[in-house]
Amino acid sequence: MKEIYAYREMIFSLVKRDLKGRYKGSALGFLWTFINPLMQLCVYTLVFSQIMRAGVEDYYLFLFVALIPWLFFSTCLTGGCVCVSSQQDLVKKIYFPREVLPIAFVTSQFINMILSFVVVFCVLLISGKGINVLAILCLPVIWIIEYILGLGITLIVSSVTIFLRDLEYVLGIIAMAWQFLTPVMYPRSLVPEKFMGLFLLNPMTPVIEAYREILYYKQIPELRTLGHAVFMGVALLAIGIVVFSKLKRDFAEEL
Amino acid sequence: MDKDMAIEVRHITKKFKIFYDKGHTMKELVLFKNRRKYEERLVLDDISFSIKKGEGVGLIGRNGCGKSTTLKLLTRIIYPNSGEININGRVSSLIELGAGFHPDMSGRENIYINAAIFGLTRKEIDAKVDEIIDFSELWDYIDTPVRTYSTGMYMRLAFAVAINVNADILLIDEILAVGDARFQEKCFNKMREIKARGTTIVIVSHSLEQIEAICEKSIWIEHGKIKAEGEPKQIHKQYLEFMKNGYIE
Ligand SMILES: Nc1ncnc2c1ncn2[C@@H]1O[C@H](COP(=O)(O)OP(=O)(O)O)[C@@H](O)[C@H]1O
Ligand SMILES: [Mg+2]
Repeated sequence: MKEIYAYREMIFSLVKRDLKGRYKGSALGFLWTFINPLMQLCVYTLVFSQIMRAGVEDYYLFLFVALIPWLFFSTCLTGGCVCVSSQQDLVKKIYFPREVLPIAFVTSQFINMILSFVVVFCVLLISGKGINVLAILCLPVIWIIEYILGLGITLIVSSVTIFLRDLEYVLGIIAMAWQFLTPVMYPRSLVPEKFMGLFLLNPMTPVIEAYREILYYKQIPELRTLGHAVFMGVALLAIGIVVFSKLKRDFAEEL
Repeated sequence: MDKDMAIEVRHITKKFKIFYDKGHTMKELVLFKNRRKYEERLVLDDISFSIKKGEGVGLIGRNGCGKSTTLKLLTRIIYPNSGEININGRVSSLIELGAGFHPDMSGRENIYINAAIFGLTRKEIDAKVDEIIDFSELWDYIDTPVRTYSTGMYMRLAFAVAINVNADILLIDEILAVGDARFQEKCFNKMREIKARGTTIVIVSHSLEQIEAICEKSIWIEHGKIKAEGEPKQIHKQYLEFMKNGYIE
């Protein structure tokens, strides 16, 4: 822990390089960070207000406020799994606390998500839905919880993938299935009672619910939801730390 | 661990698994669960030694005897199968120079990136950057991309960063053949200067003279064991003798 703090400059430098390099060479450059979620919003609006009527008021907003945070988590699964193996040159040749790589990856994705929230806020205001300032103050709490969750999952998948290369390809399917098993596209009230246990085990369920309570229902999230999310986030991070530190010793030899 | 010890190595054993097929896919893991063919090569066999703070130690031995492996264990890139390694202080290793360099970035940017990988903070790098540039002698090129450098210039920059990070323990693996003769001498003098400041140094080098000039102790590894250790001149004499006879046999 102390050691990771000592390597903070390495984390900053990796994050900076990732954010700078992301849209390098494209004409619109960094603007893509904002254009991407906007385009998605357009597609969803078109599909769900014109073609497939969902029966939820302002369904595109209902979906959008959950989709942006979901995409962060999903990227941690599908992109995070290679965040160590893609740096094998460094891992094989130099010592540094290996945790630096997943931390940098998640942080960079996280900053990207926060920037996307600028679009979310704009859309909420322009659409007339408006925002509840008091509820918004709870947003950083849920951001931090989701960051912890993302870090936990990235620690797990990035270390396991080194020993089980196929995981990288399987995770695409897992991410898709996971999305359908999380109330991203539908309200939790739609879930049959007998599956509720499974849904509550899903760490992303309370997180997505909290986002929706804050942004869509404009309410301060229930303490129960937050507590549930914190518990899941901390548990997953703990598992991630244990798995990663068990496996990291052999990274250089396996790569 | 004793306070004036820098490195303590206790009964370490290192084996490498050499796979004939490097299979990591699920099919291979499921189908050939315990049948993936591999050979275990014992490289270090129950080795122990200790190095005092400020001491200079040379590792010698024939090709493939495990000198680089020992350094990699000390720098914690790889870990022993059994045994224990205790390190007291910040380690900087000059094992693979220039790992983590980005060809499209300038020399200056690479100094920042590389020093960060060694665990320096922004402030520390700011304070060192001029010294590093001066040492590399790349003033005129420091703001051009590293891909335009010659191999010698590239190595000079990498060496300049690695040697200026203020480590307590410096691990060096056959990289003193950096740049031209004059630059080599400069590196060598810099190492002496660092050593004089109290830094512990462990060197692997083909040049026994260099080891004799810097180190108080040589450790000779043969067949995974320490064959002899002690005063460099004496050990080197035995070693050269042995190698001569070894090759005649
Ligand atoms: N990653 C590895 N996988 C398998 N064998 C290795 C690996 N690294 C080194 N070896 C073997 O270990 C032995 C010692 O290597 P090394 O430490 O590089 O020797 P040297 O003393 O020349 O530096 C050699 O026989 C080499 O083939
Ligand atoms: Mg070697």
